[in-house]
Amino acid sequence: METNNIKKAIETIIFISERPVSSKRLLQVFQDLKKEEIQKYLDELVNEWNALDRGFKLHEVADGYQFRTNPEYSEIIIRFKQSKPFRLSRAALEVLAITAYRQPVTRIEIDEIRGVDSSGVIGLLLEKRLTEIKGRKEVIGRPFLYGTTEVFLEAFGLKSLADLPTLKELVEIEKSLEESVKVY
Amino acid sequence: MVSTEPCLIKLHAFEGPIDLLLYLIKKNEVNIYDIPIAVITEQYLMYLEVMRELNLEIVGDYLMIAAELGLIKSKMLLPKPEVEEEEGDPRAELVRRLLEYQRYKEAAGALLAFDILERDVFTRIIQDEDDSDEINQPVRTDLWSLIEAFRAIWNRKDFSSISDIKLELELITLEQTVSELITKLKTHKNVLFEALFSENPTRFEIIITFLAVLELIKSGLLIAYQDFSYSPIQILYVGDNPPYYSKVVDEIK
Repeated sequence: METNNIKKAIETIIFISERPVSSKRLLQVFQDLKKEEIQKYLDELVNEWNALDRGFKLHEVADGYQFRTNPEYSEIIIRFKQSKPFRLSRAALEVLAITAYRQPVTRIEIDEIRGVDSSGVIGLLLEKRLTEIKGRKEVIGRPFLYGTTEVFLEAFGLKSLADLPTLKELVEIEKSLEESVKVY
Repeated sequence: MVSTEPCLIKLHAFEGPIDLLLYLIKKNEVNIYDIPIAVITEQYLMYLEVMRELNLEIVGDYLMIAAELGLIKSKMLLPKPEVEEEEGDPRAELVRRLLEYQRYKEAAGALLAFDILERDVFTRIIQDEDDSDEINQPVRTDLWSLIEAFRAIWNRKDFSSISDIKLELELITLEQTVSELITKLKTHKNVLFEALFSENPTRFEIIITFLAVLELIKSGLLIAYQDFSYSPIQILYVGDNPPYYSKVVDEIK
């Protein structure tokens, strides 16, 4: 296939896909191509689409590629779809943040941080597939360990977990805490 | 007569004792590394008292933190031992917990800043309708915000003025207020929390209206929600149309 046509072919696959398309998946389709070549086409496509002044762009999300509308049209799309925009309660956002940064994490660990029982919210996040059970912790009671999912990355438009903003390092906080204790 | 029916709202629907403490520390603008334990404990207990007066169920988590505060307070009152022990500041563990919670609270807020799928950005084919219906719930207003809003209205009025003291008997019952509220909300569907109160309400009106709102939320006819956290509280009447919100209502129960 001609170079330019390969690029267009990749574009069509991304266009018709419901979920982000990974370069791994494309490698299965374009068997004569190397990983780096596919990556080069993908990078070019992202740049080309982003250079075009259209209502949507090609985004890198959850280890894959997906067309997404530009945020400035959200209101009009919601009106068209007659849908309610995505929302999570404060409690759900807190548990989701704790799960994202501390994963794999147990319910008890989440409860300790929040000072309240979080089982209801954990259930809700599981139901929405934003989190999932990753295994069991090998301690007494063998509690479930929770972590975030691909759906979480897609929902927040993250390439990977490394895309999350870094929290202030615990070390830093503990250091300043020690200093204040000395003063006391 | 005002109904004496107890009005119960489960606290686990709200953010919990650590959140309350953090709120008090911010409100008093005190240094988190040097918390005036006596002042904060007193205010914390005052909040628990308010909750008790409103007949809100105080779950064990709140009492546990109250006990911890009491312990820290007494430790700080004790004279320092001659030989410096390794224990250090009795507040250290509490501060660590508060800071840790605050970090995640901030992280939760930061999540909202992303371009969120189905809120800011959309893809060509989206999850089936059932899914999006579940996910698209308004943010339920927690109890603290409701009490804060109540206090804001309470404080707006200068009750000390002598003209406000009327000796006429006000014979409005909770039932009357409830049915008035329903009529008002049926025509408007959703109303700003503040707009539920008349322009120049008496103390009695403020209290009975607030109680009526709590009563209606409890019975699942009203939902207090915000478009997003920290935006104005809106009250939505869902009595005639529970299916979409039934899930939310279930959670509140």
